[in-house]
Amino acid sequence: MNVLILLAFMLCMAMVMIGGKKGAISFVSLFINFLVLLFTVYMMNDPGNDPILWVIIACVIISCVNLFFINGINTTTLAAFLSTVATMIVLLLFILFLTDLTMINGFGAEEIDELSLLSLYIGISFVELAAAVIIISTIGAITDISISISSPMREFHLHNPRMSRSDLVHAGFAIGRDLLGTSTNTLFFAFFGSYLALLIWFKDLSYSLGDIINSKIFAAEMITILCAGIGIALVIPIASWITAFLLTRKA
Amino acid sequence: MKQWFKNTSVLKLIIYGVLMIGFIGSVYFINHNHGFYDQPIAKITAATVEKTQELTDIYGNEDILYTQHLEGTVQNGEYQGQAIELDNEYSLSGANDHEYRAGQDLFVFIDGSAESDAALSGTIDNVKRDQYILAITWIFIFVLLVIGKRQGFYSIVSLALNAVILSFALDIYIRTENASLLMIASISVLLFTVTSLLLVNGFNEKTYAAILATIAGVFAALLLASFAIWTSGGNGLNYEEMQFLSRPYEAVFMAGLFIGSLGAVMDVGITMSASIFTLYEKNPDISIEAMKTSGIEIGKDIMGTMANILFFVYISGSIPMLLLYLSNGATWPFAFSITLSLEIARALAGGLGIVLTIPIGIYTSIFFIKRKRAAQ
Repeated sequence: MNVLILLAFMLCMAMVMIGGKKGAISFVSLFINFLVLLFTVYMMNDPGNDPILWVIIACVIISCVNLFFINGINTTTLAAFLSTVATMIVLLLFILFLTDLTMINGFGAEEIDELSLLSLYIGISFVELAAAVIIISTIGAITDISISISSPMREFHLHNPRMSRSDLVHAGFAIGRDLLGTSTNTLFFAFFGSYLALLIWFKDLSYSLGDIINSKIFAAEMITILCAGIGIALVIPIASWITAFLLTRKA
Repeated sequence: MKQWFKNTSVLKLIIYGVLMIGFIGSVYFINHNHGFYDQPIAKITAATVEKTQELTDIYGNEDILYTQHLEGTVQNGEYQGQAIELDNEYSLSGANDHEYRAGQDLFVFIDGSAESDAALSGTIDNVKRDQYILAITWIFIFVLLVIGKRQGFYSIVSLALNAVILSFALDIYIRTENASLLMIASISVLLFTVTSLLLVNGFNEKTYAAILATIAGVFAALLLASFAIWTSGGNGLNYEEMQFLSRPYEAVFMAGLFIGSLGAVMDVGITMSASIFTLYEKNPDISIEAMKTSGIEIGKDIMGTMANILFFVYISGSIPMLLLYLSNGATWPFAFSITLSLEIARALAGGLGIVLTIPIGIYTSIFFIKRKRAAQ
């Protein structure tokens, strides 16, 4: 019996038992997201395809699955979708600039020993891959916040149709700020968990503070965590403005 | 300006002041810290490509190899101020090499003193990245403060606090012989949960219910993951990617799973307790059954997105490695098992923690509400 299949089965059972039909849909969407990621990797494997273009396509499909497949198509999900894509593109430009500037592309000196048997000249741009990795790591959180902002904003608008656009934007900001703490926490701990092995290793090697800060792996981790935090904060104004615009335009 | 000063409280002014001083001081320091490094640092002043070579490896991957000649000045140590010339090879893909540009600071090894006027020669060791890390940290702090205000400030404090706790816990683990990583991780998880939730929500029943639910939820995830690994004999988990560690892989993996799912489980725990307490506050006579039903409805809405968040964080990091294996003629199942098995297991176990925290959160909230009612 394979651990992964067993765990997937247990998760599916738990989701259906507690969430019923909605739980089943959640599990299916998780599975679809996984297939989309594998397909993206498959497309990136051809050096003729631009990794950045494919990461944008992947993010668009993933946010479609997470928003429209689970919640249906309506003003709320449309606003959340537009906000997600807009945030992602702003963040992507910022991250591409950063990965190029800070040279965190590729593998660290510490990792390269185990890769000695592999050919590293594969013709795929690792600068663009590094940016793609950071964007994909935050896409789940960004869609989550944009739907969590736009959905209550629509309720406000329904209950109080005369609310002005700037009042709606203020309401959106307030909702977003309340989500900020828990969402950044969710991401930070997930990153801590996945970097744990490397952190232990840095401590084992007894690197000096200077060695750690300048090393490629640590720099890449720091930049990923900080960019994820910046992305989560940026989605708040973007989602508030886009939702307010869509809601008041319709009325 | 005067108006602005009047409308801003003293505490805020102090915070702004500290931020500005910290910002200016640290930026100045990081740009003039070359003397603090023992290793020589060279500032590149000119870079020219001398040779271009097209390359095809045995798997048919095409790439271009460039040879670059760099001129620079040593910034610190006994050779400070002297000219240095360096050679660098880099590829178009850049999996383990970089194209350097004028203006960059590089850590170098110097071959030895040069004769009279000739430039020094040496090899490149690493890029100096500290000034960039600092700049991004400040951008992060400013973006969170400007958009998030008070909540942004709490997020930054909580990140810093948790990073310190983690670093301290790992120090204890490294220094203590025969220390159990899982034991240390468990204690850290308790600390993380209590500090993060109290910081955001303050001392009240709502927070206590969330803390209990979170701790029960992550331990349940850990138990179920251990159970799955135990029944299947660890079949399907490939610890290849942790081979560099001279520590028991399985314990490190489990501790990572534990800490990694904590944030998401905490999020679910606080969402459940906050919404059930809101129901109770709006209608103090609400029945237990009604609270349970509403709780499940809220849980249904959040479990999918929360599981997704974990999933993307874990899987994304493996993409470059996965591509490297695939380009080197590895089959999909092989590349998949070597680069993704641990991440997927972590994501699934984290998902289990999230789903289980929903009923647990409902019960802990109801427990505290019952106690409150009995006290009245």
